[in-house]
Amino acid sequence: MAEAIAAAAAIFLDPVRLGLMMLGICAGILVGILPGLGGIVAVSIMLPFIYKLDAMAALATMTGAVAVVHTSDTITSVLLGAPGSASSTPSALEGHPLARRGQAARALSAAYLASLIGGIIGAIGLTLSIPIARPLVLTFGSPELFMLCALGVSFAGGLLGKAPLKGIAAGLFGLLLGTVGPTPAVAELRFTFGQMFLADGFNVVIVALGLFGIAEMISILSRGGGISQRIDLGTGWAEGVRDVIRHRWLVVRGSLVGMWVGILPALGATAGSMMAYGQAVATAKDKENFGKGDIRGLIAAEASNNSVMAGDLIPTLLFSVPGSATAALMVGALLRYGILPGPRFVTDHLDLMYVIVWSFAFSSAVGAGLCFLLSPSLARLTRLPFSYIAPPVLLTMLLGAYQVSNAMGEIWLLLLLGLFGWGMKQTGWPRAPLLIGYVLALPMERYFWLTLNLYEGYTWLLRPWVVVFGVLLVAPFAWGFLRRRRDRAVPATSQTSAPQRRRLPTLVGVLFAVLFAGAVVEANRYQPAARLLPWAVAIPGLLVVLAQVFQESRGRATEADDDEADEDPAATDPLERKRRAGRAIAHLGGIVACAALISVLGFRAATALYMLAALLVVARMAPVKAVLYTAVAIGSLWFLGDNVLGLKWP
Amino acid sequence: MGLSLIGPPAAASTRKQAVLGVTLILMLSTLAVIPPEGQAQPPFYAGKTIELLVTFAPGGGTDLDARFFASFFEKHTPGNPRVVVRNMAGGGGVTGANWYWNNAKNDGLMIIAASGSNKIPFILGVPQVQYDFRKWKLIKVNGVGGAVYVSPRTGIRKVEDLLKPQERLVYGSISPTSVDLTTLLAYEVLGMDVKAVFGFEGRGPVRLAFERGEISIDHQTTPAFSSQVGPMVREGKAVPIFSLGQLNERGQIVRDPGFPDLPTVYEAFQILHKNKPDGYIRYKAFRSILSAGFSFQKTFWVPEGTPEDAIRALREAVDRMQRDPAFQQQAKVVLEGYPVTRGDLAEATVLRSLNITLDVRQYILNLLRTKFNVVI
Repeated sequence: MAEAIAAAAAIFLDPVRLGLMMLGICAGILVGILPGLGGIVAVSIMLPFIYKLDAMAALATMTGAVAVVHTSDTITSVLLGAPGSASSTPSALEGHPLARRGQAARALSAAYLASLIGGIIGAIGLTLSIPIARPLVLTFGSPELFMLCALGVSFAGGLLGKAPLKGIAAGLFGLLLGTVGPTPAVAELRFTFGQMFLADGFNVVIVALGLFGIAEMISILSRGGGISQRIDLGTGWAEGVRDVIRHRWLVVRGSLVGMWVGILPALGATAGSMMAYGQAVATAKDKENFGKGDIRGLIAAEASNNSVMAGDLIPTLLFSVPGSATAALMVGALLRYGILPGPRFVTDHLDLMYVIVWSFAFSSAVGAGLCFLLSPSLARLTRLPFSYIAPPVLLTMLLGAYQVSNAMGEIWLLLLLGLFGWGMKQTGWPRAPLLIGYVLALPMERYFWLTLNLYEGYTWLLRPWVVVFGVLLVAPFAWGFLRRRRDRAVPATSQTSAPQRRRLPTLVGVLFAVLFAGAVVEANRYQPAARLLPWAVAIPGLLVVLAQVFQESRGRATEADDDEADEDPAATDPLERKRRAGRAIAHLGGIVACAALISVLGFRAATALYMLAALLVVARMAPVKAVLYTAVAIGSLWFLGDNVLGLKWP
Repeated sequence: MGLSLIGPPAAASTRKQAVLGVTLILMLSTLAVIPPEGQAQPPFYAGKTIELLVTFAPGGGTDLDARFFASFFEKHTPGNPRVVVRNMAGGGGVTGANWYWNNAKNDGLMIIAASGSNKIPFILGVPQVQYDFRKWKLIKVNGVGGAVYVSPRTGIRKVEDLLKPQERLVYGSISPTSVDLTTLLAYEVLGMDVKAVFGFEGRGPVRLAFERGEISIDHQTTPAFSSQVGPMVREGKAVPIFSLGQLNERGQIVRDPGFPDLPTVYEAFQILHKNKPDGYIRYKAFRSILSAGFSFQKTFWVPEGTPEDAIRALREAVDRMQRDPAFQQQAKVVLEGYPVTRGDLAEATVLRSLNITLDVRQYILNLLRTKFNVVI
């Protein structure tokens, strides 16, 4: 083994291969920064080049691209609040509030360092797992996978925020959203309403970009000004490093969670980072700051989303079962060199395996280093008026959404979810449980049915890992129950704020109620196997939402429970709230108009018009400056899209 | 171009390079003015870009096949066009194929890579299908093969044991309307009693379930079979029983070159039932789905009315690439050694196999409804 590792190092250190890997790393960084584009695009860019190389160089290049996407996507997530790729949503959730408080440097340095360590732990795990991965993966059958998904969903319980009913409803709604599209157990399409682009369900890119990306853009725009007034570039970097050292075990835990989710087929990178984030919240003693810029959430998520990619390579190379589309593309490239992943891969191509390991560790380090270098100048962007930055970012998101299936419907869906996400944000409905529910709904349902059909009776409940997960699942509830009984003697703390009536929360609540009720009615038409999950989530969802709406209408549960109020006292002023809501609606209208124009004029003309209008009207830029800026921004988007990224235009 | 590369040093060499550059430009322009003999006009695809539409996400079998061929079409199509792969996933492949049907111009600049999952809904007459293969021209076709293997716990060692397993046969599948329908129909042809469990996300995860002992009978296509099932067979953890077989140009099922030692479904029927399956409707159904899902699975098409020059150039490329040693070497692994056939040679056979008689369709729809609870 040591010999193979050394031999691989010699192959890997070849200057030509190193140079190519740097090219891959640069591609990965660029793709990571652009919101909505992920590893698939990074690997597809490299494909035409790598076929001209040898297998080792090709692998090093692809690994380089894949390893850094989830380091650089943090930049977008933290600075703009829009997830740079779906799996960095928790980083947007926790990192962006820090940036708004002027702690962008701290958040970024902590994130890079956690990413780097996650990548290296992933590479080490990859090396160590070679002898044990096969038996380990094979002990994980359908019942274990089902229980793991259920455990993941229960992590959402830690993310409920101040209004648990709202959090539960949001989580259930996420599960419902995950049922759109094909039913795993039977041939029945659910909630597609005859729309072909819905036949594969909502894409995770659309859900994450809409609920978090678009929603965040609108909310920042409506606030006016820049993202932050203050930038503590100097001391922040060291502070971030200290954060990682202080929470070192969280980094390790996050990496291991990510790695494990990567190893298991079918859960995906977003589930990995959401679960790592969820466990960080679940195991924290003080949970108040989560969702408002808690560095621990950011660290755990960043550690996981790099190691998830390393974990992903294990089923890909050892079983020839790629855990993601990105990994599948890598398998396709390997085939071209006559290399077949599978049980014999490790014995036949041990040197290749270690080239991958080396490349992964090296790229993680170089990627983190490059991001460090890039960040100070990028962090300064947060002081610019946001109305300058928003138009090109929004257009990139629309473009990213369109890449999903090349249907205009995806763009409309993105905007709809954006509006929904903004509404939730403004009225204190937590969005993290929604995303967790959404990413885990399909695998959970799939493995539930497979378990029922493949195992006799309930014997599967006694399998060791099922018992372990079952205990982990029930323990927090039991613990909470016991503690509450013990604490009952202590009187409840008094109400913090005077009751006041608010109209908007009820509106979002009513919308949820309507959607849940509609789902219950619609699911009635489906065969029993297709109906089970929609009913199992929509009926309790409806009851929970009704309870919440009832409370709201009685003027209870009125604590100012949205995140903004904590940082920005002006947000609580009703007049200011109204003004902001008006501005947000206007901005949304602008984007919707842009999307409508795209269907008429085509992407290029419509986006140029939109951007020019946004700069002149909203940002009040001087006309000459606005034209120049539009030309440069749209021009580089076209150039990148056509010549580098190979994107498709609406 | 030559001029712009001149660096600062040595004026003399600069002048020399400038003279060289000018000479080169002059020579090139002469070349451009006087066309070489025998080539009256530039090739159809000179300077053009072909879009290759894949109706599935990147990384799937059809996508990998398309990307493999894309690079060789670039190299061997006269005029060396750029070939870019475009993925339009959704609706199990129907969305993209419908889009192609409604939008692709017959200018030879957009090719559709259609696989078994595009063809099976077409054969079954799924109402969402708008496209019609009979209005397209075939550029190339290549197939895959598949074989069925069982767990040793079933007690099955050879075809003769298939009808009396020691424990219930459980088969893992994606859905009854995927290419797995081929194997489900093979079980029907042979009269086997198999419990099918649907909901897996791909053949890879099904194989994992077999290794874990969750299912006891499975099929895999050729590349996965040799590299993934092969080691299990050697360790005594899997027993290969029969191959699905390959269709030849006359529509007969013959031994699969990937599994020369395994009897085909046709032979297995003869062993089990002592007569030939040809007359049976369930056999006809199996054969047509086998053709779509395996033997003629990976096809490239262009719309009817595409210029003859374009079609000829593309088909010529299919011949030329097969003489390319690089293609031959890579095809051994990527195409599993199955031959590639030029479109005009196979078009009639492929179209015939897509066109099934009413009674056969009725049989399949009936089977799906009664046995698998699927209404189309």
